[in-house]
Amino acid sequence: MDRQINIYHLYPSHLNLYGDRGNMLALSRRAWWRDIELQIIPIEPGDQINFDRCDLLFMGGGQDSDQLLVAADLKKRQVEMRQAVEAGMPVFAVCGSYQLLGNYYTAAAGEKIGGLEILDLYTEAGNKRLIGNAVISCQLWQPARTLVGFENHAGKTYLGPGLQPLGTVLNGFGNNGRDKKEGAVYKNVIGTYLHGSLLPKNPWLTDYLLAKALKYRDQDSSLSKLDDSTETEAHQAAIYLARSWRHRLRSSRA
Amino acid sequence: MSSVHKEAAKTGGLKNRLFQVKKTGAIVVGKALIAITRLLGRGGTTLPGRLAIRIKPDLAELLAGLLLKGALVVTGTNGKTTTSAFIKNILKAAGYSCIHNQSGSNMSWGVASALVDSASVGGTITADWALMEADEGAFPKIVQDIRPLGVVVTNIFRDQLDRYGEIDRIQEAIGRGMQAQPAGGFQVINADDPSLVSLGGLEGKQRLTYGLEIDLIEDSFLNTGRDTKTCPLCKKELTYERVYFAHLGHYHCPACDFRRPMPDVQLTALTIKADGSSLLTIETFDRQININSPLPGTYNYYNLLAALTCALALKIPEEKAVKTLETSNPSFGRMESFTVNERELVIALIKNPVGANEVLRTILNRAEKAILLVAINDKIADGTDVSWLWDVDFEQLAARPEQLTATFAAGLRARDMAVRFKYAGLDWQQVLVEENSGTALCRALQATPPGGKLYILPTYTAMLEIRRHLNRMGYGRPYWEDR
Repeated sequence: MDRQINIYHLYPSHLNLYGDRGNMLALSRRAWWRDIELQIIPIEPGDQINFDRCDLLFMGGGQDSDQLLVAADLKKRQVEMRQAVEAGMPVFAVCGSYQLLGNYYTAAAGEKIGGLEILDLYTEAGNKRLIGNAVISCQLWQPARTLVGFENHAGKTYLGPGLQPLGTVLNGFGNNGRDKKEGAVYKNVIGTYLHGSLLPKNPWLTDYLLAKALKYRDQDSSLSKLDDSTETEAHQAAIYLARSWRHRLRSSRA
Repeated sequence: MSSVHKEAAKTGGLKNRLFQVKKTGAIVVGKALIAITRLLGRGGTTLPGRLAIRIKPDLAELLAGLLLKGALVVTGTNGKTTTSAFIKNILKAAGYSCIHNQSGSNMSWGVASALVDSASVGGTITADWALMEADEGAFPKIVQDIRPLGVVVTNIFRDQLDRYGEIDRIQEAIGRGMQAQPAGGFQVINADDPSLVSLGGLEGKQRLTYGLEIDLIEDSFLNTGRDTKTCPLCKKELTYERVYFAHLGHYHCPACDFRRPMPDVQLTALTIKADGSSLLTIETFDRQININSPLPGTYNYYNLLAALTCALALKIPEEKAVKTLETSNPSFGRMESFTVNERELVIALIKNPVGANEVLRTILNRAEKAILLVAINDKIADGTDVSWLWDVDFEQLAARPEQLTATFAAGLRARDMAVRFKYAGLDWQQVLVEENSGTALCRALQATPPGGKLYILPTYTAMLEIRRHLNRMGYGRPYWEDR
């Protein structure tokens, strides 16, 4: 059986700040190694999005000025997007887009910018950027697995009472540097501050997204095992560096 | 003299003497540390300056104030090292002496180190100019410290975002530096970069712009996204008539009246010759200047224009500037070659996607078999976030498998690089991973046949490690003598 996945990449020329190309490469290589046909459809502001054809929605990180442009464009599709999410459409959102999926964002001057209200969370501007390597323990698997990445955000995000985080912070700051939560998961929507790029060094998360995308379209979601020795070694090395006191000293400004 | 005045003179004298002691102390400590670090085989470009400004925070300001002519600062994401090397050579050709923070040590303490190094123990400076390359984030502080007559800003690209957050913030930092520049000075900026044109800080200063007025084909593989595509004034998307690379080009805002200014110094014609050199026709102030440049690449055209514009602002005789630009070679770490045991070794610093793509393309264009060593560190000077590796078009290496006979991944982030090679489509089981840059260098040299070529692409601190190893092996000159 020929399996197929359509990824809608939202605004690649505006939201592409932290190596999002790496996330795209990880998804497409791992699909290709398994003979799954994967298509990436770039969407720019003003383009029509047909959510009926989208198997996985990918949203990257952007700088503030681009973020506003994108937010205005996405607001127009809020209703359709929410319907698709409720129906189980997988969404993967990093950094700025993760904030955008929430209820609102409060800027430093107190100005409130409305979000897409897909995830029950809000974000407040912080005065100190949370920057550095991060390791989280993620409950999408039993037993839990680690995810490693790099975070760099000024916004502090707080989850509503019913919303599950993507993981528990082992090293780094997470959503707000306080409650040890990182990211959020609702139905098949994953939002996170981690980049690095995130997917190449966490191949199990890449496979999780591919399987969800296949299942959403009632396709066979079994994925053959790959030789992930290179990825696993990079994952372990990144955990080691994130925990190394010496490395933190030479890679921080303090 | 009344007693009150006497008293004042006395305390002033004492204060002065105390101040003198502190200054001398800072200089002596700085100089001693420079000597010690060099004995240890390091460049002495960071620690001595850091300590000297600990002892005397305004040391750089004091020393810069003693310069006979003044200070110049070059900043921007890409091309600042090449541009400042050009300017330094032009100043020398015009008969000036010049202090320069050559080793790419471009934070405020690097500037202090360079000044301390060339000051006498008594605290005097005999140089005409100080030409300082400034990291974008350190730019406002360096401008405040050394109060430059001229600033040159090359461009703003996505670089080490972990350090300053987002590009908007880099732009804001550069704007603050422009504001801090004293009145009466001049600014040289790239007209093709919309994020520079909108910067303020012009009061009482002269601003000169440079840009390209030629047709170039946009690099289709530079798919790293444009960093600044929205109008800096009204946030609408900019329209481009011409794109040179990334967001550099001819642009205007469809909504407001923001548009590219007509550059004061323009590249109007370009002929690329068979030997790889380029004949450039430049028009400025109703004059035409022809330069036969040995350096290839759009990049270098911008660097050359920046240096020439700065030279014109300094009223340096045109023929001296032209002659220097025609004979200048790439500087520290930007495509340097060494011969080691009949093997040719080329080192090219990489630090961001746009620059790394240019390096990869140059290597592949040479159409010869080679060994490749990529060494990635993630210390502060390298950028602590390695995400940018995913925006580099390493895929172009996989498209030419016959050209790479062996591939090495090295540095603290060697394993990230190995994953990058794998997802780029290289034969990943053949990629050799070795975290220690020195060991990786030895193994790569062993894998290179006599007469063969080894390309080394390191990040900044990995480059220092590799050069240290080469020095120990007896090759290459120590980088602090590179001035």
